[in-house]
Amino acid sequence: MDTPDTGTNIISLDSLNTFLSQRDNSENAFYISTIPKMCTEAPCILGIDEAGRGPVLGPMVYGIAFCPIDKNEMLKSFECADSKALTEAKRDEIFSNMCTSTDVIGWAVDIISPNRISNSMLSLKKHSLNEVSKESAIGLIKAVAFAGVVIEHIYVDTLGSQPEKYQAYLLNIFPNYKITVAKKADSLYPIVSAASIFAKVTRDHSLQTWKFSEGFDLNHKDFGSGYPGDPVTKKFLKEYLDPVFGFPQIVRFSWSTASKILESDAYPVEWMETEDENPKSTQSTQITSFFKMDKETKKKHSFFAQMCLTNSTPF
Amino acid sequence: MAIHIQGGKDIAKSSIEENIQSMPFKISADCDAKVSTYFKPLVKVNEDSIYSSSFRGHPLSGKKLAIPDGYMGVVLHETVPPGTDKVDRNFYIVNKFDSFMHWNWDKTPTLNDPIMQALHVWIDVAEALHSS
Repeated sequence: MDTPDTGTNIISLDSLNTFLSQRDNSENAFYISTIPKMCTEAPCILGIDEAGRGPVLGPMVYGIAFCPIDKNEMLKSFECADSKALTEAKRDEIFSNMCTSTDVIGWAVDIISPNRISNSMLSLKKHSLNEVSKESAIGLIKAVAFAGVVIEHIYVDTLGSQPEKYQAYLLNIFPNYKITVAKKADSLYPIVSAASIFAKVTRDHSLQTWKFSEGFDLNHKDFGSGYPGDPVTKKFLKEYLDPVFGFPQIVRFSWSTASKILESDAYPVEWMETEDENPKSTQSTQITSFFKMDKETKKKHSFFAQMCLTNSTPF
Repeated sequence: MAIHIQGGKDIAKSSIEENIQSMPFKISADCDAKVSTYFKPLVKVNEDSIYSSSFRGHPLSGKKLAIPDGYMGVVLHETVPPGTDKVDRNFYIVNKFDSFMHWNWDKTPTLNDPIMQALHVWIDVAEALHSS
């Protein structure tokens, strides 16, 4: 997780757009709102949800929202529901309302850039998207705790099909908090709905304000939703493919939609193994081999292999 | 078969190339690459002078390496590739460089990397051999 950006205070959609357009979109970004004073005094509930896990384009955003337990009822007045069940306009409206209620509700988002997602999944260690997601959720909880919020109960939308497993995992890391992991937590708990709105609106606006470091003058209507089934997205991937470098940075190279196009339409690339790929011969040496005048048996000192030195002409 | 390297006289005149990137992969292509558009904007450097970047989503870690004193880096171009391995080959020097970027795939460059060994260790050994 990158260091919190304190340059912009997000209190509206405009300031959200300012924050998003100022950042380097090949890197992750983190934002935490001002902390409501009452959240540092009274026990709070936290909700965590994600937006943009599936699409081949743009960042994945993890959001966290928190408020004192006794303000839970008040949350319903924001009409939060599962962010996907609301229209974009309605989500934007709820986002604006919640942003201006910083006396009660605090929030943070972790924006994981498509470049970082690709780099994690295509690292030698093959860091999965689930691991990236877990780290993000843990980072958000830690940031909120660090900011002085009195954490009582954390509600998290599940990752994968076994919420109880993820819950046990989180409880192991945060033994002092109550933690509930549930399927569809965003429609069950208003605080998770709030988190899902913060995440979803941040993701949508980061696509809307996306500036291509490659210099293309495109807006989100030119690349579509980013879902692999979207014909506009498919067309964009085909049209903006560079045969050497592949795609612009908005694309998650580690998605099969992207890698299939690379395989068929771009120049083949063969990555070099960094590990030594010269397994020692396990065959035992036959005594007769010492009498053969075979060049192959004249083993070179390993020094030459280490130095990448080979003979270019026989002596 | 012999290898001829030509254009040595013009080396002094050619300018120092500062954009040599040694990449940890092979690409089956022979064409220009839009390095400034797709690669340069991603290159970052940390306080330990370790560079990072990305190619086709793969994380890269790099270090700027200097060509040792008394040596020179040259870019060679072969106009006519040989049809067989028996004929002489002609290479022309098209550029020179005194440093280059060495990139690893997801591994911080260290002295154990073969290229670093070649630059640091091999050259010392070669000099010791030839000085006697």
